[in-house]
Amino acid sequence: MTTTTSWTVANSRRLARRERRRRLGPMAALSHVALLLWTVLTVVPILWTFLASVKSEDEIFGDAWSLPATLQWDNFARAWEQAHIGQYMLNSVVVVGFGTFGTMLLGSMAAYVLARYEFRGNRAVYLLFVSGLAFPVYLALTPLFFVVQNMGNVPLVGPFIGLNTHAGLVLVYIAYSMPFTVFFLAAFFRTLPQAVAEAALVDGASHTRVFFQIMLPMARPGMVSITIFNVLGQWNQYQLPLVLLQERDKWVLTQGIADISTAAGYDQDWAALFAALTLAILPMLVVYTVFQRQIQSGLTAGALK
Amino acid sequence: MPHTPRITRRDLLRAAALAPVAGALAACATPAAKPTASSAAPAATSAANPFGVAADKPLEVWIFDGGFGQDYAKNIHQPLFKAKYPGVEIKHNSTKEITKVLQPRFAGGNPPDVIDNSGANAMDFGALAQDGQLQDLTPLLDAPSWDDPATKIRDIIDPAVVELGTYDGKFSVLGYVNYIFGIWYSQKVFRDNGWEVPKTWDEFLTLNDTIKKSGKMASFTYAGKHPQYLYEPLLTMAAKIGGNEVLVNLDNLEDGAWTAEPMKAAAAAWAEIGAKYLMEGTAGLDHVQTQTAQNKYKVAMLPSGSWLENEQKSTTPDDFEYGMFPLPDVTGSDKLPYGTLHTTPGENFIVPSKGANPQAGMEYLRAMLSKKAAGDFSELVKTVSVVKGAGEGRQLSPGAASASKAVTDAGANTVTYRWQTWYAQLKDEAMAATGQLMSGGLTPDKYLERLQKKADEIKNDSSIKKFKR
Amino acid sequence: MYNAHRRSLFLFAFLAAPVTLYLVYVISPYVQAFYIAMTDWRGVSATPGFVGLDNFVRLFADGIFWKAVTHNLALLVLLPLLTIVIALFFAFLLNVGNGRGVGGVAGSKFYRVVFFFPHVLAVAVVAVLFQQVFRPDGSGMLNGPLMALGARPVGFLSDPDVAFWSVLGVMLWQAVGFYVVLFSAGLASIPRDMFEAAQIDGAGRVSLFVRVTLPLLWDTVQVAWVYLGILALDVFAIVWVMTDQHGGPDFSTTVMAAEIYRNAFHYFRFGYASALGVVMFFFTIGFTILSLRLSRRERIEY
Repeated sequence: MTTTTSWTVANSRRLARRERRRRLGPMAALSHVALLLWTVLTVVPILWTFLASVKSEDEIFGDAWSLPATLQWDNFARAWEQAHIGQYMLNSVVVVGFGTFGTMLLGSMAAYVLARYEFRGNRAVYLLFVSGLAFPVYLALTPLFFVVQNMGNVPLVGPFIGLNTHAGLVLVYIAYSMPFTVFFLAAFFRTLPQAVAEAALVDGASHTRVFFQIMLPMARPGMVSITIFNVLGQWNQYQLPLVLLQERDKWVLTQGIADISTAAGYDQDWAALFAALTLAILPMLVVYTVFQRQIQSGLTAGALK
Repeated sequence: MPHTPRITRRDLLRAAALAPVAGALAACATPAAKPTASSAAPAATSAANPFGVAADKPLEVWIFDGGFGQDYAKNIHQPLFKAKYPGVEIKHNSTKEITKVLQPRFAGGNPPDVIDNSGANAMDFGALAQDGQLQDLTPLLDAPSWDDPATKIRDIIDPAVVELGTYDGKFSVLGYVNYIFGIWYSQKVFRDNGWEVPKTWDEFLTLNDTIKKSGKMASFTYAGKHPQYLYEPLLTMAAKIGGNEVLVNLDNLEDGAWTAEPMKAAAAAWAEIGAKYLMEGTAGLDHVQTQTAQNKYKVAMLPSGSWLENEQKSTTPDDFEYGMFPLPDVTGSDKLPYGTLHTTPGENFIVPSKGANPQAGMEYLRAMLSKKAAGDFSELVKTVSVVKGAGEGRQLSPGAASASKAVTDAGANTVTYRWQTWYAQLKDEAMAATGQLMSGGLTPDKYLERLQKKADEIKNDSSIKKFKR
Repeated sequence: MYNAHRRSLFLFAFLAAPVTLYLVYVISPYVQAFYIAMTDWRGVSATPGFVGLDNFVRLFADGIFWKAVTHNLALLVLLPLLTIVIALFFAFLLNVGNGRGVGGVAGSKFYRVVFFFPHVLAVAVVAVLFQQVFRPDGSGMLNGPLMALGARPVGFLSDPDVAFWSVLGVMLWQAVGFYVVLFSAGLASIPRDMFEAAQIDGAGRVSLFVRVTLPLLWDTVQVAWVYLGILALDVFAIVWVMTDQHGGPDFSTTVMAAEIYRNAFHYFRFGYASALGVVMFFFTIGFTILSLRLSRRERIEY
């Protein structure tokens, strides 16, 4: 009896599928066309840039889709040396490295305390952090400039954290990454089980040790997500360094690229511009492709939390 | 950050109520810029050291790295200065975006000592003057020249430099180059095709037709992305028709200055060029792209200034032979004769008053105005400096020679305008509107009405400092 | 007693640094901005003059600023709408769009990787890239082929009637991939049975989408709407770096953030720029509150 029913159900499903396949046939082809179209739209501008990066100046000014007569690898040397792309990239790596590390350290500490400990003012501090999510950064730019500048006058550490210092920018990145990091990680810490931490505390472990040796490892998936989010966000930041770093040798990559497009107008070195763009794009795509699963899930998990 | 996540409504409202309170408790860094201890007492002055340059205080120099590059500063000016003050360390810097890089330094009260405040992204002199940021350079004018203790600086430079460099009654901006504006072409191309430099506007239109019909190249273009390259000949033409006072009235924000008859004639004339003779794609190209197109013989003529030849040196064919002609006669009864030129001192050097070492800054300018410095400069960057006679006996390139000849021919008939450096907002509006005029988006009348409206707005805005000439 | 003391010390130690940094660098600038908005400060003098609400009165007559606001509002409507429609379409094809109805089309993993490319590029880099793509002559990636076909070149960035759409197009180009992945994640959490069941009922692809996918994804769509709305209100780098004359031609692409930056760092009207910032602040807060209020809290249970 039961076997008959399940056979009937399975059979009807199979029939339904066959029927649907017949109906959806042309649709499937169309959907591939749509998907391919968007793939082309996405990839072609990037590939075109790569192509232009090995063209000569004359070829760039000529027909957009002509192939280079000889590959001008020299463009990359000029972009790296004269347009300082190498320097800017190093600066970006340093700033984002320290910035993300600091953000994760301080953010997870604050989020942990806010998520797991009851104390007066907990809610207020939490909301203070979270409120930052809704403010447009443009309102704060001018005063922020002066805050950072005044930091430069602080005794002893001043010279290291004022304007035109990477440490100063790192501190600003950390501060502006706080709202989302605290918001996300607090939610994450709340989902972790209590028992392990409580047992450790009863055994006499300090709160600090519980955090670093027990809770932090447990929070690994959340930490990975939000680290990816912060690395990408800080790497792509343009507005804050634009205001806070004015000395050319301190610039980060986004500033350098934006400047090259202005500079190309004077130097007439469009080939180097395309090479510089390629240098900015290629590593990101390689890193992304290698870690695409983690990056996609990290970013979307961050968004959906 | 690419994205801002959602938070709950309750969180948000409570946070919004809370934030100001917390902020009030926060460390309050006031916007007040801390006055820096910049005006350290100068060292003793002497005839050889008129400003009292300290022997060992560093000097920070920022050069606009544009059409003239920065080598002239590094290889001509700085060695000259260094020879006299070996103990002064010169910190040389350059940028293409002066405002972006240096404005915050002013805001922070620690500007550098010498700035070549030039280029499309130069800082607004009006705002700097209004805030007392510019060192009064009158002592420089009265100081002995570098070469001859008996001659004052005032007497060796073009007097227009003093007029144009004066803000609030104080001479504070030193233009170093004499910019000469006109329509630029290849003498070789004109010779090969039998095209002749037009003397009247009708001839100019005929020439445009001839070139267009020849099918060899487009006849006219301008830096469409930067329409100030086109309002320049438009305004010069208006001044030629109606006299220099047309431009003075614009500068002084007089009522109806923009809608005056000569302005209407000039706007109509250029709108016709825009409608009929522009190279395809002009509106989206910048100065280098259009100039390069000219070097590649894709277009015959474009309006520019005497920096052009140097700016294009890497793409200009050897036999290109740059030439420049002044704006043709328009009405037959133009107030100013054929040959009238727009000239203006450019590459504007300033010494910030709140910099660490303004004495050395002024001395640096004095060195720049020496015969050797100015002459070497003219030769290196193929242009004309403001130092009288510095180009004598030097080997000038075709374009520079053509421009120098035009200046000599013009004699006293030179005009200029200053509103664009005084009122940055009016400049932005004029750029936007001129682009529209040339692409047919605005009729000449609407174009002028729009600019008049903006000028009136600025005139009536008490928060904007006004200038008079 | 000793434990309680230890606990407070620990709380203090963990919160002190993040809270201090946050107050100094984030909260205090925002608070100061509200004060600066009521001064005539030009960024250089030590004592800004207090002018009350003058700046706010002035901005009401500022045609360019209101032009910027209308552009932001147009983006606020168009960017989320188009992005979500396109992204939902692709997410649907990639996840439930195959012939059998319950899996993605062949190669869906590849598409998902490629679509996401633009999102990992910095906005400033994308802006410079498209500046070249949009070149107005035969050397432009798009105009080259157009002109080869005999068409007149399109002034993607130089025609004031077109430039805004170019900006929107680039923003779409960069945004869609992220939302395809976001919606895919949402779809992945929907039990397969729901699709199976609907298909047994004979649902076609369209009705499958309208009746099953969309309602179940509604929460994610709302999240996307809020993000994209804030993106539309906050847009700066694309406009500033890519367009002619920073928001031109003829101010046809300018946005609030660009006008704030222009007034602050080009005209040195820091007081006025801060007043614009305050207006932008209320637009953003207003939008966030409004969209949170409009979003229904109920979820479809399954």
